[in-house]
Amino acid sequence: MKKTPTYPPLYKRLCGVWRRHFAVYTKNLYSNAFPPFMEPLIFLAAVGLGIGKFIAGTVEGFQYLEFLATGLLMTSAMYTSAFECSYGTFIRLEFDKVYDGMLAAPVTAENLITGEIIWAGTKGLFFSFAVLAVMAAFGIITSPYSAFTPIIGFATGIMFAVLSLLVTSYVKNINHFNFYFTGLLSPMFFFSGVIFSVGDLPQSLRAVSEALPLTHTVRIVRMCCAGKMSPIIMWDFAYIAIFTVIVGWLAMHRLRKRLVN
Amino acid sequence: MGDKVITVENVSKRYGSIHAVDGLSFEVSASTCFALLGPNGAGKTTMMKMIYGKAERDSASSGKINVFGFDPANDELSIKYLSGVVPQDNNLDEELNVEENLKVYSRFYDITGRKAQDRITFLLDFLELSERKKAAIRELSGGMKRRLVIARALINEPRLLILDEPTTGLDPQVRHVIWEKLRHLKQGGTTLLLTTHYMEEASQLCDSVLIMNKGARVIEGHPSDLLKNIEKYVIEIPNGKMPDGIRGSIDSTGIRIDETMEMTRLFSNDMDKLKLIADMLDRKEYYMRQSNLEDIFLKTTGRKLNEQQ
Repeated sequence: MKKTPTYPPLYKRLCGVWRRHFAVYTKNLYSNAFPPFMEPLIFLAAVGLGIGKFIAGTVEGFQYLEFLATGLLMTSAMYTSAFECSYGTFIRLEFDKVYDGMLAAPVTAENLITGEIIWAGTKGLFFSFAVLAVMAAFGIITSPYSAFTPIIGFATGIMFAVLSLLVTSYVKNINHFNFYFTGLLSPMFFFSGVIFSVGDLPQSLRAVSEALPLTHTVRIVRMCCAGKMSPIIMWDFAYIAIFTVIVGWLAMHRLRKRLVN
Repeated sequence: MGDKVITVENVSKRYGSIHAVDGLSFEVSASTCFALLGPNGAGKTTMMKMIYGKAERDSASSGKINVFGFDPANDELSIKYLSGVVPQDNNLDEELNVEENLKVYSRFYDITGRKAQDRITFLLDFLELSERKKAAIRELSGGMKRRLVIARALINEPRLLILDEPTTGLDPQVRHVIWEKLRHLKQGGTTLLLTTHYMEEASQLCDSVLIMNKGARVIEGHPSDLLKNIEKYVIEIPNGKMPDGIRGSIDSTGIRIDETMEMTRLFSNDMDKLKLIADMLDRKEYYMRQSNLEDIFLKTTGRKLNEQQ
């Protein structure tokens, strides 16, 4: 009896989903990638150079310009991943019906969502690498350990992918994402130690800051760029792992229901 | 041959209080064409989705679905690997061109490189899309998009092709081209399962038609066998055009009258009796023809196939 060939293994299915996102993204690479790439650089130039001039001392051991630059490496990963898994996912889901087309192929809804998360992580990796390259070229970031940044960018991408997908699973109207970006991500930008040190926050807000995902990846990147590890890095890694697993599970559970009724 | 590719047994699906599918059962044999025929909202698409795992059947009822020996609730991947699905909407990747859409899709079946290229070339040729290989999706007509979605479903040489309203919204010429391709596939051994609300599509293509309404079966059989359930001929008279005197003549002849809001239909197996009635009418006021599946649907449910829900 002839052996029937069977459906592709998991890694190949995830790869198929990833390749689809890659193909579509690179089709319009310039308009997709260039603006989000420029944004942190412009911000750094305006705020880092502009305001940095007035900051005499060091912040957490860095000159302000470098302090801000290292933080912005992670915000670019955050935003690119958040947009992909909020607006991107929603539009694919509700308007393009792209997922319906993909689900006709031998992939499960879980494979689709996982592939999406990995893709967003990849974008986080790529963007943090690109921004790092520019900052290194300008001599703003000099530590050789900063080479670990793209990996942390990947982790940032993953965390904001699962968070955004969870939000998307609740959203029925595309305008509701405004609440997510203005109400959660923008404040996170300011209270995660990117612009100023979390050590400068009053005790009550300090706890809030520790609850935010961005705070942890920013701190790890700073440690790499300073070349000085501190035990708190264990707490940061633990947070990333726990956050990803819990929020990821919730997002998967809810989003699956929208894909398979 | 004679193998059952699909077995559906007492399957139901409820959305809240609405019974989208209600205790439906049917079987599809290999290399045949089976159609679910019914109006919008009959539950055809929902049933299709349950077959390939896009929707979950109610577990409370004892319903079973078996495709190639697999249950879509547990083994959707095995089923989808052996099948091709043409969904109701043309959900193509608008950012990619015709060829790229097929390339991306072939990856899902682990078909890459030279093998993918050859397969894509063959399919574009088969569906008469070769000239539009590099065209943007936006530039394609409705018929071309549909053919591309069919090409996409055929990437892995499926043994079963599932089509949800394959020719809805397309003009007659394209419709016939697609029917021709589907017939060709069936001759090659592919099993076809389709849903439609066009009785002509069901009659022309299928070995077996299941007429459904409100989630349940109304009647099932080979199109020509189904027609034995109804009189052979019918006169259609738009309402308001039947002179009162005629009604009296009809009552004694044994002709069956069916009246809806817009149309009165007179059914009979005897063509001569109907001709007598026709002679009493104004030439332009009536239409005489052979009866079809739509008439069966009307007779058994009191509704038209193309009525809005």
